[in-house]
Amino acid sequence: MKRLPSVSLSVALTVLLAAGCAAGGQGNTETAQSGADDASSVVIAMGPTSEPEAGFDPAYGWGAGEHVHEPLIQSTLTVTNPDLTIGYDLATDYSASEDGLTWTVTIRDDVKFTDGEPLTAEDVAFTYNTVKESSSVNDFTMLDYAQAADDTTVLFHMTRAFSIWPYTMAIVGIIPEHAYDSATYGSNPIGSGRYMLRQWDRGQQVILEANPDYYGEAPKMQQVTILFMEEDAAFLAAQAGEVDLAYTSATYSDQAIDGYSLAAYDSVDNRGFNLPAVEEGTDDAGRTAGNDLTADVRVRRAVNIGIDRQEMIDNVLNGYGSPAYSICDRLPWYNEASEVEYDPEGAAALLDEAGWLLNEDNVREKDGVPAKLNLLYATGDSVRQALAADFADQLGELGISCTVEGVGWDTAYDRALSDPLIWGWGAHTPMELYNIYHTADGSGSARYSPYSNAAVDAYMDQALACSDLEESYELWQESQWDGQTGVTQGGDIPWVWLVNIDHLYWVRDGLQVAEQKIHPHGHGWSVVNNVDQWSWS
Amino acid sequence: MKNGNRRRNAAVFLICAAVILLAVTASGILLEEAAVETDFAEKNLPPSNRALFGTDWMGRDMFARTLAGLSLSIRIGVLTAVVSGIAALLLGIAAATLGRKVDAVISWCIDLVMGIPHILLVMLVSIACGRGFAGVVAGVALSHWPSLARVIRGEVIQLRQAPYILTADKLGVSRLKIVRRHMLPHIMPQFLIGMVLLFPHAILHEAGVTFLGFGLSSEQPAIGVILSESMGYLTTGKWWLALFPGAALVLVVLLFSVAGEYIRRLADPASAHE
Repeated sequence: MKRLPSVSLSVALTVLLAAGCAAGGQGNTETAQSGADDASSVVIAMGPTSEPEAGFDPAYGWGAGEHVHEPLIQSTLTVTNPDLTIGYDLATDYSASEDGLTWTVTIRDDVKFTDGEPLTAEDVAFTYNTVKESSSVNDFTMLDYAQAADDTTVLFHMTRAFSIWPYTMAIVGIIPEHAYDSATYGSNPIGSGRYMLRQWDRGQQVILEANPDYYGEAPKMQQVTILFMEEDAAFLAAQAGEVDLAYTSATYSDQAIDGYSLAAYDSVDNRGFNLPAVEEGTDDAGRTAGNDLTADVRVRRAVNIGIDRQEMIDNVLNGYGSPAYSICDRLPWYNEASEVEYDPEGAAALLDEAGWLLNEDNVREKDGVPAKLNLLYATGDSVRQALAADFADQLGELGISCTVEGVGWDTAYDRALSDPLIWGWGAHTPMELYNIYHTADGSGSARYSPYSNAAVDAYMDQALACSDLEESYELWQESQWDGQTGVTQGGDIPWVWLVNIDHLYWVRDGLQVAEQKIHPHGHGWSVVNNVDQWSWS
Repeated sequence: MKNGNRRRNAAVFLICAAVILLAVTASGILLEEAAVETDFAEKNLPPSNRALFGTDWMGRDMFARTLAGLSLSIRIGVLTAVVSGIAALLLGIAAATLGRKVDAVISWCIDLVMGIPHILLVMLVSIACGRGFAGVVAGVALSHWPSLARVIRGEVIQLRQAPYILTADKLGVSRLKIVRRHMLPHIMPQFLIGMVLLFPHAILHEAGVTFLGFGLSSEQPAIGVILSESMGYLTTGKWWLALFPGAALVLVVLLFSVAGEYIRRLADPASAHE
């Protein structure tokens, strides 16, 4: 009698296990069939977190935020080119005033929303003023207000100079002033982009249909169906031939699916550890901040060159990745001085020099204190966990003994102030450098990990105040390394970057996926940035 | 004659079960380091002589992980069962001996806790206590006492009317002394059996809540962690990640459960006729 509940619980556990495996099998059969035989439609499997919770409303994060991508349904003023420089979508020209406080953008006059109304500068101004009011995922504090000068000219009045404004313009989809209701727009969006939303079944799928009146080149793919499913379900869906392109990860890369090939796209979706650059103490908010071991710049430099990144890629990512040396590898504002060679002897010498000497247990010690680090990773992310474990093994060889601990994001930010945490970054804007390395207002330290360098701050401030985008790239590069100081090996190295994770997809044979830009962080919508140019052969 | 054999069989089984469980617990403690050691050169190996239960995606030995996980589960099970059991004993006796008001309050608490689904309560308490070891122990301990408390309360209420208790009362023996000298020895068998039967519940709930991500931290080699990690790899055919730890968990739970039944037979022979 007493055994019954325990037996039923174990049955429940088993059922849970089984349910997880089966979850994806239930996809929508209607869409599944239309997949391969129709030459102008494509079915794509993305992760469940890619589904926009608030719908397709740019004011509530569609296209923007942590995982940037092109909004597809809406047009943007600018776009990022394949090399991540700036190109035009709606805009025909833009310029900033000498003081950087006013941006003037002229737009095309031949664009119509899908309800037939023309898109004017009024709509653009309305969009930006709305987004500034309501966006919770993006920072729009640099914008004072937007104003339409005439039908095709928009003025952006800034609160401070912001040279990389064109990168912000690349992620804000333009919404129609005459048809915008914040309560319904998310599920019933009207835009002027390449696609229109035909159907959205929450928790299951989104169907996009080509916009017949699109002002640019007509989309080759007339219908794009996106299914949201877990990774194992996506794998099974590809195995069953139900999808044309399915996201996957290194875990599945040793598998093979008949009729599909594995495509790997370069990304700047990096993983790296913050190394608190000050000694342990308490910050203004009463949190423990700083780490006595990583406070020494020589230790941080030793860690940076003492890590065999390629081994990590082979071990954890099955070879699907590239070494990361900065938060922005291969982007226009990347400074190649960030790159370092793997040099374990050099690392050992640096640690010796810093006074951390090997004892008989092969652990380094200084004044009787052993060199120890507690490495944190976000619970539930097996790749980060494995990277952290590999990092710990490699540091162990250098004589730094490491423990690895899983933490939830509710506590991770605070914990990372004193213990290295494995992070994932990588965005299509230099602003990320600023967020990571620039001293935060009023605190005397950068936001995510204790660090501050006035020279680095100054370069970034200059870069933002600069009136020319090209020129600002150089300043961003100098903020990383100017020959004297910076955040690279020769400088303060307050973060150590490990790998850029290739984004992997199962692609049905015959599907020609157009050339991809370097993918940003987030394994979601960026793959369909140019789905309009995909084709079947 | 037949009865004698059964008692002896029960005793033999109990000793075997205890030895197995102790061995698992001890070897798990010894293997704790091996259970978290990664070796990327040996990842995703199927079961073989080299790695009896195979290895996972970080090259960790699943045999060591399974034993370490079971050991952790058993230790948590023992700890929570003891805490729960003692709480049940104290509350059960208090309800039955300290008058109507106390009884009403305690009975109400029992109903309240029993009214909430176990796993939900464990999750809530665990989250409130910050997850991890402390969270799980608090969650499981605070949710498993009511049924045993209710049994003990019933026993004690019955016992209160027993002639020898009434006599002791009339002779002026203090309440505390009556409980200690006359009641506790009487309910000890039920209490012990109840506590042993709490183990399987406690272990499964610990594994369950950890599996769901509200329990032990993911770097610990707990069975719940192992099973939830295995989920991502089942579709690629790595069955050994779930099968061995899962089967081992079921075996341990069964062992405890059957052992509880046998203890009942030994301690309370009359129940064999039920």
